[in-house]
Amino acid sequence: MLSRAARPAFKAGAAVALRPAAAAATLPIAQTANYVTLREIEGRLKSIRNIEKITKTMKIVASTKLTRAQRAMTESRSYGQTSNKVFEEAETKPSEEAGKTLLVVCSSDKGLCGGIHSGMTRATRRLMNEHPGDYDICVLGEKCKAQLSRSNAKELILSFAGVGKDVPTFADAQAIADQISLLPTDYASIKIMYNKFINAQSYEPTVVEAYSEEAIAASPNFAAFEIDDEVLANLREYALANSIFWALAEGHACEQSARRNAMDNASKNAGDMISKFTILFNRTRQAVITNELVDIITGASASE
Amino acid sequence: MAFAWKAAGITYNRYLAVAARVVRRSLKDDKRLAAERRGEMDLRFAKWENGKQGENKSLATANTEAMAQHASGSSQ
Repeated sequence: MLSRAARPAFKAGAAVALRPAAAAATLPIAQTANYVTLREIEGRLKSIRNIEKITKTMKIVASTKLTRAQRAMTESRSYGQTSNKVFEEAETKPSEEAGKTLLVVCSSDKGLCGGIHSGMTRATRRLMNEHPGDYDICVLGEKCKAQLSRSNAKELILSFAGVGKDVPTFADAQAIADQISLLPTDYASIKIMYNKFINAQSYEPTVVEAYSEEAIAASPNFAAFEIDDEVLANLREYALANSIFWALAEGHACEQSARRNAMDNASKNAGDMISKFTILFNRTRQAVITNELVDIITGASASE
Repeated sequence: MAFAWKAAGITYNRYLAVAARVVRRSLKDDKRLAAERRGEMDLRFAKWENGKQGENKSLATANTEAMAQHASGSSQ
């Protein structure tokens, strides 16, 4: 009699024990016996442990890459700022005349780094919605390409792949700038969108302007530099390459730091799940033992 | 001011890249290897038309071809 009364209470207890882990993991736990079979939990635990190992390794790799990327970023940032100094001093303004703008979106090929690529895509779409029809897009990197080709395929004109395998080199930026300047359309201005590195936790999509020849020639203090018209095109191409290099390096550093954070969180979550599942595993094991004991005792008392 | 490389259809960036490559190659062996790694470029690109992605091509060969074309076009 006592054992009968005790059993529903025990079942309720087992269900409570299940709940936190089940809520965290949203597993399709077989509820048939009201407790998960030991073997299932064991398999689950094993796979989570493996995932934790992978994310931990990726985090370490990203951390080491991050230091390199950050160094490259600080160097390229001062480089890009020096290059832009000319335009600051000349007080160059983006030309007001209506014309198409080329938007160069700097993302990369690799994922698993949180939401930086989607943030980039969102910022691009926002910019495009403000002035619909004014923009053509040139995408660097597969991730943003995949996202933008779904929504703005018509505006896409160029896409580059192979970005972000390693710290971007200036040769990359030069080749991209060349291909952009070889485009048949004449753009009123070129905007380069990249993730600005604020600190290890935060970054925001930022736009840097690469001016057209007319805009440079029309700037108020331009005469002070005594630049011949013939070399102006060179300056523009060079400045474009500089800006792209800057944007690529900064975007790369952001990506690495985002990946580090993402992998850090993933490892932490995996650790949480492991501890929850270990508890669940032990509870279930005990429950199984208790259950069997109860059965034995009931059988023994019945046969007396 | 007329530049010989401009007449050959080479852009300023390409001109810089070639010049940089020459400098890197003339370095001593140990320094050269590290420096040449900075000059590597292995990108692919594709042109898009009307929402369709074109063929994926190597950027380096496409650039040289485009410039050769540009050069022959301007000399005629």
